[in-house]
Amino acid sequence: MELTYWWILPLAALALVIAARLLIRRRPQTGRPVAHGERLTDLPEYQNVLRRYKATLVLAVALGALFLAATATAAARPAQRTTEQPEIRNRDIILCLDVSGSMTSTDAAIAKVFQELARQFDGERIGMVIFDSSSVQLFPLTDDYDYAAEQLTAAQKALDSGAGSFFDGTWNGGGSSLIGDGLASCVQGFPDVDAEAGNAKRSRSVVLATDNFLSGDPIFTLQQAGELARSKNVKVYALNPGDFDYGDQADQPGGQLKAVAEGTGGTYFALDSPDAVPGIVQKVQETEASSYLAAPQVVVSDSPALPLGIALLAGAGMVILAWRLNP
Amino acid sequence: MFIFAHRRTLTLLDGEYGSVFKGRSLDFDELRSYVPGDEVRDIDWKATARHGSPLVKRYVAVRRHSVLLLVDAGRNMAAHAASGESKKDIAVDAAGVLGYLACRHGDDVGLLHGSALTSRYLPPQSGEQHLERLLREVEAGISLDGPASAITAQLDYALRYLKGRLLIAVLADEFRPDAHTEMLLRRLRARHEVLWLTILDARMAREPGNPAPTQEASFDVGNGQRIPALVAGNSVVRAAYATAMRKREEERSVFFRRLGIAEQSVGATGDVLTAVFALLEKHRSGAKSAKDSNRAG
Repeated sequence: MELTYWWILPLAALALVIAARLLIRRRPQTGRPVAHGERLTDLPEYQNVLRRYKATLVLAVALGALFLAATATAAARPAQRTTEQPEIRNRDIILCLDVSGSMTSTDAAIAKVFQELARQFDGERIGMVIFDSSSVQLFPLTDDYDYAAEQLTAAQKALDSGAGSFFDGTWNGGGSSLIGDGLASCVQGFPDVDAEAGNAKRSRSVVLATDNFLSGDPIFTLQQAGELARSKNVKVYALNPGDFDYGDQADQPGGQLKAVAEGTGGTYFALDSPDAVPGIVQKVQETEASSYLAAPQVVVSDSPALPLGIALLAGAGMVILAWRLNP
Repeated sequence: MFIFAHRRTLTLLDGEYGSVFKGRSLDFDELRSYVPGDEVRDIDWKATARHGSPLVKRYVAVRRHSVLLLVDAGRNMAAHAASGESKKDIAVDAAGVLGYLACRHGDDVGLLHGSALTSRYLPPQSGEQHLERLLREVEAGISLDGPASAITAQLDYALRYLKGRLLIAVLADEFRPDAHTEMLLRRLRARHEVLWLTILDARMAREPGNPAPTQEASFDVGNGQRIPALVAGNSVVRAAYATAMRKREEERSVFFRRLGIAEQSVGATGDVLTAVFALLEKHRSGAKSAKDSNRAG
C-alpha cells in the first residue's frame, strides 16, 4: 500500500491547522450575557446533561477528524503495487493423429482429452489433421471452440467405432502410415512465420500420435519433417502407444520418433495404455504454460475502498450526531 | 409620593419629615449674638446697629433627608434582565425614579456604587442636575468587561464610612444572600432605613411544558462559562430549574422579611414605576407594622 500523492497529507494537515486557528481566533463570546449562571449550572440535572452533551461533542470531533483523515488519505490516492507475471495464452495446437488401425484407441483418447480442453481454451487456437497414407485436415487452426469441440466429439465417436466416412481421404497415397508426410502436412497447417509477423510470438505445438511403423515410400522422411517443424518453430510432442523398440538404438522406430520430437524442442512419450493420455496431455499443457509466461509487469492499482469506507461510516456517524444535536 | 421615614429626624439637616425642631423651612427664626465662627455674611447689620453688639440672623435650616442610592456596578449588572433588556437600564430607570421622587420632595440624593474591587461614593446633594450626574455615573460604571459584582463590598463601605441617618435604596440583582450579608444588612438596617429593589436576572431555561422555541446560547458573565442552548433546553433541566427557581425566590422573600426590609423585584423597564411605588408602599406599611409590634412588645 502506498500513496500516489503523498504530499496531499501534509497539505491537508496544514490546512486543518490554519482553519482551526482561524476558527478559534475569530470566535467571540456569543450568546446573551447572564448573571448568576450558577442558578442553572449548579443543578445536578444540568451537570448530567452537560456531561452527555460534551461526550457527544467529543465524539463528533473525533468522527470529524477521522472523516478528514480518511478523505485526505483517499485524496492522496492509495495504490496497491503488485508484480504480475501474466500467462500468455496464445498457443496454437494442431492434433496430428495417425489413424492407422493400431492407433484408433489412442486417437480417441486424445480427441476426448482435447474435446474437454477446448471448452476451457481462451486465446488458444486448435486444429486437427488425421493421416494414414495421405493426410486430411479435419479443421484448420480455429478459436471457435464450440466448432472444435463438435468436430472433436465426432472424431472421437468415429475413432471409437473405427468405421464410417470419417477416414475418407486418408488412403490416397501409396502404402500406409506415411508419418513423415503426415507430420509435414500438420506443420504446414501453421501460417508462415514471415508472412504473419504478428503470429511469430504465438507458440506452436503439434501433438503427434503415431507408432512410427512406416510402410511405403513417403515424400518426407520423418527427419525431414522434423527439420521443417524446427524451421517453423513448431514443437512436436510425440505420443507412441506401441513402443516396441529393442534396445536403445536410434534407428528403432521409437528412437527415431524420440530424436525428431526432441530435436524440435518437444518431448517424446511412450504410452502403455490410452488411459495415460489425459495425464500426458496435462503435462504438455503445463510445460507449454510455464514456458510462455510474459515478462514480469508492475501493476499499480488504486485501492481507495478502505479510506472511503471509513469516511462513509464517519460521515454517517456525524450526520446522526448532528441530528441528535439539532432536535 | 415620597420615601417615608419612620424615625423622626434628629438633626436640623434631616429634611421635610417629622422633626423635633418645629417651624417651617426657609423661615427666619431668630437673632442671636454673634459667636466667633459664625458666617460674617449672616450678621444682621441693621439689628447690630440698633443693638450695639453683633447679632446674626438664624433661619430654620431646610430640613432634609438624604437618600442614598446603593447600586451594584459590577459586570453582573451588564447582563440581561428577565425581559431581555440590560439590567443596567433597569437599574438606571429605577434609580432615576427614586431620585426624582426624592428631589421633588426636597431631599438630597447620593450614590454609592461599585464592584468587588472598588466602591465609589458621591455624597448627597440636592437638585436634579446632581441626580442626572449620578445616573450618568451609574450608566458609565457598568460594563460587561468591568470587574465582578459584590454588593457586600458596598454594604460594608456604607457601614464603615457613612455617618448620619440615610434612606438607603439598594438596587441589586438576584444574588444569593449568605450569613455575612445578613449580618451586614442587619447592622445597616439598625442604622439606616433600607429599601431593596431586586432586578430579576434573565431566565436561564424556559418554563417546562411549553414547546421550546430555539433557545439562544448564553454565557455566565461571572466566570465566562458557556451554557449551551441544547442543554438548557433539555426538558429535565428545565423542570429542575423551575423548581430550583421557585425555591430560591421563596428563600429571598423569607430572607428580607426576616430582616424587616421592604423588598420588591422588577424584571423590565416598563415595570419600574409600579415596582418602585409598590416598594415604597411596602416600606411604609411593613416597617410601620414592625414598629407597632415593637411598641406592643
